Amino acid sequence: MPPADIYLGELEQLLLLIVLRLGDDAYANPIREALATAARRRIARGALYTALERLERKGCLRSTLGDPLPERGGRARRYFTVTSAGIRALKRSRRVLLGLWDGLESQLEPS
Amino acid sequence: MTPSLPPKTPPRWIERLLHATLAGAVYRDEIVGDLHEAYGRMHGRCIRPVLVLWYFAEGFRLSMRYTARRLASWPHTRHSAASSSKGTAMDRLTMDLRFALRSLAKRPLLSATVVVTLALGIGTNAAVFGIIDKLMIHPYAMRDVDRVVMPVTTSPTYVGHRETVSPADFLDWRRDLAGGTIDHLSAIQWWDANLVGRDEPERVLGFFVSSDFFAVLDAVPALGRTFVREEETIGNDKRVVLSDGLWKRRFGADPAVVGKPIRVDGGERIVVGVMPPGFDFPMKAEMWAPLSFDEETARRRSSHYLTVIGRLAAGRSVSDAQAQMTVIAQRLTREHPDTNRLLSARVYTLSAGMVDAGMPPILSLWQAAGLFVLLIACANIANLLLARGAERGREIAIRLALGSSRARIVRNAFLESGLLALAAVPVALGVAWAFIRVVYVFMPGRVVRFIAGWERLGVDIRLVAVTTAIGVLAAIASATLPALQMARGHVGDALKSDGRTGRGTKSQRLRRGLVVAEIALVLPLLVAAMLSISTVTRYFTNWQGYDPNRVLVLRAVLPEPHYATDDSRRRFVASSIEAIRSVASVDDVAIANILPAQDSNVVRRIEIAGQPQVDPANTPRADFRAVSPSYFAVLRVPILAGRAFASSDSATSQRVAIVTESMARKYWPKEDAIGHQVRAGSDEFATVVGVCGDVIHDWFDSRNVPTMFRPITQSPTGDLILAVRTSGDPLAIIDDVRRAIAGVDRAQPLFDIMPMRQMLAEKTIGLQYIAGLMAVFAGLALVLALLGLYAVMTYLVAQRVREIGVRIALGATASDVTRLTLRQAAWLTAVGVAVGLTLALALGRAMEAGLLGIVSSDARLSAALALALATTALAASYLPARRAASIDPIVALREE
Repeated sequence: MPPADIYLGELEQLLLLIVLRLGDDAYANPIREALATAARRRIARGALYTALERLERKGCLRSTLGDPLPERGGRARRYFTVTSAGIRALKRSRRVLLGLWDGLESQLEPS
Repeated sequence: MTPSLPPKTPPRWIERLLHATLAGAVYRDEIVGDLHEAYGRMHGRCIRPVLVLWYFAEGFRLSMRYTARRLASWPHTRHSAASSSKGTAMDRLTMDLRFALRSLAKRPLLSATVVVTLALGIGTNAAVFGIIDKLMIHPYAMRDVDRVVMPVTTSPTYVGHRETVSPADFLDWRRDLAGGTIDHLSAIQWWDANLVGRDEPERVLGFFVSSDFFAVLDAVPALGRTFVREEETIGNDKRVVLSDGLWKRRFGADPAVVGKPIRVDGGERIVVGVMPPGFDFPMKAEMWAPLSFDEETARRRSSHYLTVIGRLAAGRSVSDAQAQMTVIAQRLTREHPDTNRLLSARVYTLSAGMVDAGMPPILSLWQAAGLFVLLIACANIANLLLARGAERGREIAIRLALGSSRARIVRNAFLESGLLALAAVPVALGVAWAFIRVVYVFMPGRVVRFIAGWERLGVDIRLVAVTTAIGVLAAIASATLPALQMARGHVGDALKSDGRTGRGTKSQRLRRGLVVAEIALVLPLLVAAMLSISTVTRYFTNWQGYDPNRVLVLRAVLPEPHYATDDSRRRFVASSIEAIRSVASVDDVAIANILPAQDSNVVRRIEIAGQPQVDPANTPRADFRAVSPSYFAVLRVPILAGRAFASSDSATSQRVAIVTESMARKYWPKEDAIGHQVRAGSDEFATVVGVCGDVIHDWFDSRNVPTMFRPITQSPTGDLILAVRTSGDPLAIIDDVRRAIAGVDRAQPLFDIMPMRQMLAEKTIGLQYIAGLMAVFAGLALVLALLGLYAVMTYLVAQRVREIGVRIALGATASDVTRLTLRQAAWLTAVGVAVGLTLALALGRAMEAGLLGIVSSDARLSAALALALATTALAASYLPARRAASIDPIVALREE
């Protein structure tokens, strides 16, 4: 049972969102590309794996192995899906952020 | 035809390497796969080398990251995903350190014992290293000393196969080496100079050197200049360079002395330069003069007396020089087969070349002994730690049960012994310092100058580094067994039992094994120490062929210009004998060129009339002595046949000789030596008129070396040694003897004045050092091993308290129990002694072979020592045995 409240870091939020967007194709390489293109965040491969590992440990991600592929030297891809706990955590942080944004639009909205 | 495309897969080896370094990663296979796939995608977009570089860089970063993570979470590797969040590696290390310190502080006595034991073991080893380092590895402190080489003549017929160089060979070497592998080449010849002047006449140690001598050593004078090649010719050679010490002592540091003549050896020499402080090569020399050869000497190849040193040319190595010297020596062999047929040349570095041949075996013996002591110390500590580990069985079991990994427990054990070693290193440095100090102080000043590097013995940065390294090794060595033992424990067993008896028989067996090893290591040390001690005492107390008691010796070197003729030397000898005889309490006096046990020797080629010279390149040799008639009476050397010399054996009478028994046996084995003719070098033939007893000149020459005596009247020499026999204390007559000689020649200095017993003691200083240090090592080892045995027996008794209690309750008497415990100790001792005896025999053989045969292994001695060791060991275990016997069964059984 995942703990009731899971707090997410910024990178973690980004990763969960990207995994959601990628759907059935969410494995490390496209996740990293999406992070670079959509979120303009270039992170080291190792950092990505560490973050994915951590999210899985927190119960926000679940991973499954695909079939072995020749273009990977006979190795399988590890696909990630966001768990219900992950969705809850995302919703929670969205709520917190929106609440904090509320009323500050006039100061922070680009003019 | 299409060009073959580069493969779409990354280099196999990098991939494999990456896979290996990712061992701790959760997504290991997938990470490698992802990178493989990315490589394939990039393929075609850039050239392969760039691609491979990219792949390598990515892989490298990944493996660095995972390796770092693994290290940080060690020893939690196996469940890294679960526990890596519990603090950083540094936190854990601090925690463990604090834990280790706490548990060490909890047992201060044990910790102190371990520190002291370790310090003794480490300190002795560090000290021996310090001595080896200064005497053999870095004996000279000069600049670029590794560029200075020492070519020597070698021959299979010489003792140690190496020899000094003949004048003609040196001159040929120097000519042929010019512009070759060795830039400067200089010969060196011993010079006992008599300095006369404002003060008392003084004998100064000087050396005759070639003009290149100072260039070889890269030494520049502080004042004036050094020698030039022109000063190597007779007539131009009356020059001298002074050492800083002599300049200050005798000339009041007067800079005007340069260019002025001083009186040396009864003639005048002009001071051309003064060397800077600290320059005293070789052997604390104080004066240097040009080495010149007359024409006859310059052609001489048969007499070898020059030491040669050279400086390697820029960019040349010792092996280059060796190659060239070999070629030169081969040419000389071809051109002068009569003298050089068996000779070759070998190039040593200065440090290696100047080391006394006897030194390496002695130093390696010490190092081996030091190592034994360290091993015993480590075994002791391992034993203590094992005992502690057994005590802590419960604690460790609880830690294991609570989820601590075994790796962490092992790490903690190493951390604890590492801390102990860290504490021991400063103490060990103190031990090393004290050790070196003692070794240093006991060396007589006269001998010190013959041992290069001796003055610089002490603690330096290299020694600190080595001590620390030995400390770390010792910590690892002594912690390995206990650590493994601790980690091996079975959690359930340990928790179930009372923690004292839980650490089963395996640990006990280990501890017994360690004690056996300690005893086995002590015995060879004891045997080696006793062998060297008995050799020394044999030399001091046994008959050496003469009586050194109540004899005063003095040396005098007659300066050549003053005593140019044989007649003048004869006169000096005769008047001195007469003058000294008149001194009160002097019984008699003898004058000779060499006395037994003196630190120099004269060896000459001999020729026996009627016995053809077989091989001119390998002629027979004998020790040569020129002696006054009283020699045999003063030294109490027995005349076995014929007569001693008499005052009638004068310069003009029949040429006579006396030979030692061993010489007579060697050259006239089947007949009487008396009446036969023999000659030394190019002397006339002399008739043997007497045979005397053998005299042992060198302690390391156990053989009786054939020796030939001639009357000093018929073979006069300027290098004299006087032996004065007195009825009282030899030291008491020194002033009177000095005055007597001054009455003969006021300007004649006397030196090396001491009782003959002292000369003998100084001669054997090396042997005394061997014996003394071996005794220290053996004593240390013995104490450590006995402590170890005592500790183990105490521990074993404590383990059996209950059992013994039951035995006593069931009717066992006190002596039954004592016997029970002692039997256990006896077993350990017996096995240890058996193994030790084997080691001792091997070590005895090695000493016999290594120490020039002066030590002879002695099976009876080994057996006696084994018995003594066994007795002491049993005595050490008697105390624990008594304690066992006094156990109160009621208390013992209630303890549960």
